[in-house]
Amino acid sequence: MPLHPKGEHLMDRSEVEQRVKKVVCRVLKVDEELVEPSSHFVFDLGAESTQSVELVAAFEEEFGIELEDDAALAVQTVGGAVDFIAKHLE
Amino acid sequence: MTTTAPERVPTKAPHSLDALFSPRSVAVVGVTATPGTVPYDIFHNLLHAGFRGPVYPVAPGKRAISNVPAYRYLIDIDQPVDLAVIVFPADVVDRALEHCARKGVRAVVVISAGFREVGPEGQQREDRLKRLACAHGIALVGPNCLGVINTDPAVRLNASFARKMPHAGRIAFLSQSGALCTAVLDYAREKQIGFSKFVSFGNKAGVAESDLLEYLHHDEETDVILLYLEDLRDVRRLVAAAQRVTHEPPVKPILAIKAGRTPQGADAAASHTGSLAAEDDLCDAAFREAGILRVDSIDELFNTAILYAYQPLPAGDRLGIVTNAGGPGVMATDAAVREGLRVPRLAEETQANLRGVLPATAAVKNPVDVIGDARADRYEAALRQVLADPNVDQALVILTPQSMTDIEAIAQAVCRVHEAARDGRPAADLPRVAPKPVACSFMGATDVAEGIRVLQQAHIPHYILPEWACRAMAGVQAIRRMFEEPPDVARRLPVDDMAVRSVLDAAPAGYLAEHEALEVLEAYGLPVVPWRLCTTADEAVGWAEASGYPVTLRVVSRQVVHKSEIGAVALDLTTSEAVRVAFDALRDRVAAARPDAHIDGLLVRRMIPAGYELILGAKRDPIFGPVVMFGLGGIYVELFRDVVFALAPLGPRTARNMVRRAKAGRLVEGFRGGPRADIAGIEECLVRVGQLVSDFERLVELDINPLLASPAERGNAVADVRIRVA
Repeated sequence: MPLHPKGEHLMDRSEVEQRVKKVVCRVLKVDEELVEPSSHFVFDLGAESTQSVELVAAFEEEFGIELEDDAALAVQTVGGAVDFIAKHLE
Repeated sequence: MTTTAPERVPTKAPHSLDALFSPRSVAVVGVTATPGTVPYDIFHNLLHAGFRGPVYPVAPGKRAISNVPAYRYLIDIDQPVDLAVIVFPADVVDRALEHCARKGVRAVVVISAGFREVGPEGQQREDRLKRLACAHGIALVGPNCLGVINTDPAVRLNASFARKMPHAGRIAFLSQSGALCTAVLDYAREKQIGFSKFVSFGNKAGVAESDLLEYLHHDEETDVILLYLEDLRDVRRLVAAAQRVTHEPPVKPILAIKAGRTPQGADAAASHTGSLAAEDDLCDAAFREAGILRVDSIDELFNTAILYAYQPLPAGDRLGIVTNAGGPGVMATDAAVREGLRVPRLAEETQANLRGVLPATAAVKNPVDVIGDARADRYEAALRQVLADPNVDQALVILTPQSMTDIEAIAQAVCRVHEAARDGRPAADLPRVAPKPVACSFMGATDVAEGIRVLQQAHIPHYILPEWACRAMAGVQAIRRMFEEPPDVARRLPVDDMAVRSVLDAAPAGYLAEHEALEVLEAYGLPVVPWRLCTTADEAVGWAEASGYPVTLRVVSRQVVHKSEIGAVALDLTTSEAVRVAFDALRDRVAAARPDAHIDGLLVRRMIPAGYELILGAKRDPIFGPVVMFGLGGIYVELFRDVVFALAPLGPRTARNMVRRAKAGRLVEGFRGGPRADIAGIEECLVRVGQLVSDFERLVELDINPLLASPAERGNAVADVRIRVA
């Protein structure tokens, strides 16, 4: 497994995706089979407005990162979140 | 209703808004599981208002909402859906609407905000909804609205986030403001006012007030329509729809508040008409033409509506007053007269009967003062007599809470008399009369509360102040007059429109040269005195000799708008020599003052004798379309601001009313011994100006200022005119 400069292991995209999905299921309380990369947080998964903020906080905690609020809240789909976080981890 | 109101014919044809008001099934799209949020509350309200059909929650990721199985997508519902209420955030509403189209949903209410009200991005989102709804024939209400309520017991639809379902009633309320709706519902509940339909139409991306008026015109549950508007868009459609409601059976009154009365941004137009035509005045003109009664406050709206909805339409404007206090009786009389009602002396027979049932100190002429110690029996006897009086068309009962006053019993007595009067027989021993409305003013607060409750339950309109009662009665009189007067019809007068077209086709954008403007007016039959555009002094003298003196000379140049300021006008020239001298002097003066000006020539015309100075104007407004203005003319037009407006084209009755409404109208009738001008001629000028501005889209502003009005034998004459073309 490749190592991050700080010594942590670097996640590949599929791992990011799995962990994003897990967070989404937990925060939005939806079944895992509903969560696809194309799933829209609101239209497909029923996220309420307050849950968007919760999702960003949960991603930050899950990945040990800090996200810029406005940019993070602008992400609308699961796939978008995966890309956004993966890019951040790079 | 009495015979004075045109017949109310029950008709009910299928309407595209049936799915909105009487859906067989409803889906709420975007429901959440959190009470206290709009998406949850709307679903909750639908369920708990007792809607007669199935209600489907579309809540992605949820198994059920309030124990009702939920659907991930609207298209997953295996049964037909008539109405969808979309409560998703703005950025996914279009996707939800696409699902509605796929599902064949016929009506959609978009509650969500975040559209045109937030700026260009929101406007784009709204345009997309509009296109989708239009392409799929969906009746779209909203976005950015409170929702829709139908209290009909056979439907019981509360597709809104108003917490409480209003009582059923005969009043429909339509509002552009959602927040106002919640306040109105609360206000109405306290006053026991019921509604037939309640619609918050928000940004009106699809369904607008005109569509709702068309639907409510034939809604058997609705007798009166109340409208709250913030912005007007398709005014001509609104006027047409409202005219049908107010004049084609089954006729119904429309009362409206149009917010934004303060003048703002009347565009910095160069013409008088342009600068004077404030949106509010044009709105008044449009509503007048539509038969819409404009009021200023929510109180006035409902005060008038309940009187109309709950009471018979009075046959006339005569008011009988029964009171237990002299002061309020006088105040009520003052208010009634101020509002245009009459408070006539009661018939001798009525006065005699009243003397028989009231103490010697009572007043029996009108107002009838039953004296401070009156109890229910005295009120009842007096009210019966007043309602039976042939000189009275309606009654107002005033009560002040005094030590002897049995308030609740008096309220019940009023109810008994009212019921008898509704059947045309206020007293068994008196002759039958037309049904007459009764209103009350029990003045005070806590002491009279129980009495007011009794009245409200019996649908007897109650007003805290007698003045409000009088204002409401005056409103009902306005409704009665509006019903009795058919819409005015603008018939075309013969004109030479080809001549105008050839002038306008050749004219660049901007002001027409004076001779061109005169040609335009002549072609439309306006009173222009003989004139000629001359390029030499010889030509001018020749014309003057042939036509007669005195004459005037004016320099004609597109670059010289304000002629008198640079001495480009000569008046009262009585000889050929004077014409010759003035011709050269004017030309030289203009050449010196404005070397850049191209002089087309000098306009010579017969001097117009003095007359009343009037202004006749026209303007093509982006929202209201062509409009006509009339008022006091001259140089102080903006100072006195005695102007009235009407939509063009206009018929003869509208022209007559314009002249009557302006103070200038009193002047031309012959104020303080002055001669009476040719008023019919002025009215015809207004009709012709209206026809002119309606016929030519390029004609954007027109000022005839002044039109000099004189008695018929001398006639009216255009003294000056400016026409701007786009």
